[in-house]
Amino acid sequence: MQNFIKHMPHYISLIFIFIAGIIGFYVFSYDTNFQIGVVFALASAYVSWGIIHHTIHKDICLSVVIEYVTVAILGIVITLSLIYRI
Amino acid sequence: MEKLIHFLLPRESNNHKAKILHSSSLLVLASFLVLSQIVLNLLPKLNPSILGYASNISPSEVVRLTNEKRAAAGLSALSLNQELSAAAYTKGQDMIAKDYWAHIAPDGTEPWKFFKDFGYKYRYAGENLARDFSNANDAVNAWMNSPAHRENMLNPKYKEIGIGVVEGDLAGVDTTIVVQFFGAMYTDKIVQPIAQAAKTEKTVVLTVAPTIIPTAIPISIQTIEPQVRSQILISPFTTTRTLSLIVVAILLLVFIVDAVLVSKRRITRVAGRTFAHVVFLGMILSIILILKVGNIL
Repeated sequence: MQNFIKHMPHYISLIFIFIAGIIGFYVFSYDTNFQIGVVFALASAYVSWGIIHHTIHKDICLSVVIEYVTVAILGIVITLSLIYRI
Repeated sequence: MEKLIHFLLPRESNNHKAKILHSSSLLVLASFLVLSQIVLNLLPKLNPSILGYASNISPSEVVRLTNEKRAAAGLSALSLNQELSAAAYTKGQDMIAKDYWAHIAPDGTEPWKFFKDFGYKYRYAGENLARDFSNANDAVNAWMNSPAHRENMLNPKYKEIGIGVVEGDLAGVDTTIVVQFFGAMYTDKIVQPIAQAAKTEKTVVLTVAPTIIPTAIPISIQTIEPQVRSQILISPFTTTRTLSLIVVAILLLVFIVDAVLVSKRRITRVAGRTFAHVVFLGMILSIILILKVGNIL
């Protein structure tokens, strides 16, 4: 719990990025290209957040970066497969 | 059972992290989803009528909803023109026959050709397209949410409307195309300045002197209703959405259980922040729920 509170400022910034992304997705529901752009921007922001966060806390290593990248890839695959089916 | 625990719960055998959350497993999961899309694309080759979108769109309902939106914006109602409806229906059939989804056909045929073919001498003309929507309301709302399509629907220069609803096979998927044609004939020269004059990309203004011919605008609402389609087995969107929801829900659950157990057992491990992964997957879940089937052009 202490750890969670310690990371809270970083988590809040991440949540705000995602909320902005969801709003953008909803508002520009008619623009597929914009939605694809939002997906890649959010995935990039997520990986960047992970790298910056772990660098600040001095616990970054290759396996951690790969973990963020794979979760981001999974997110991209899921959303793009749906966007292309619309 | 042992294997299932190994996959879903943190323990010594999986280095205190559920196997499904390992990067290698996540990549396998992503590959599986890509593979499922490839299979879904190959299905129409095995059985041409296996994929499709169920819909129930009536042209008269599209006209009613369009006029409802115009009335809300303080604009006059559009009258249904049978020539325009026939032209719109033919445009839809042309898209199915030539297998394209665009305002301009691959052979360069523009929408205005269909107006002319049916003897509709337009002063202003516009076109909106929609496909894969399950009902008229969703299609009209999608047009209203798009600035360019909204301009067409709320353009005070248009006096008449024609709707063509065509069902057929587009790129291997059984679908419903809605073609919405707007127009104003030469005889309709008075533009009511009720709302702001919207600039429409599809508006065609002819500079030649108009020939004034009294034209009777049909009042009766007779539209070409779509034919009843054969039974559809699989909706590509719904299938993909269900699969995505299952994958994201399982991952979210495993991530949360994993975090609770690791915290309880006071295990120290080198890994990303579970909270960040959960928030990211939560966002993906929201996007899955926001996305609706149907495309406009």
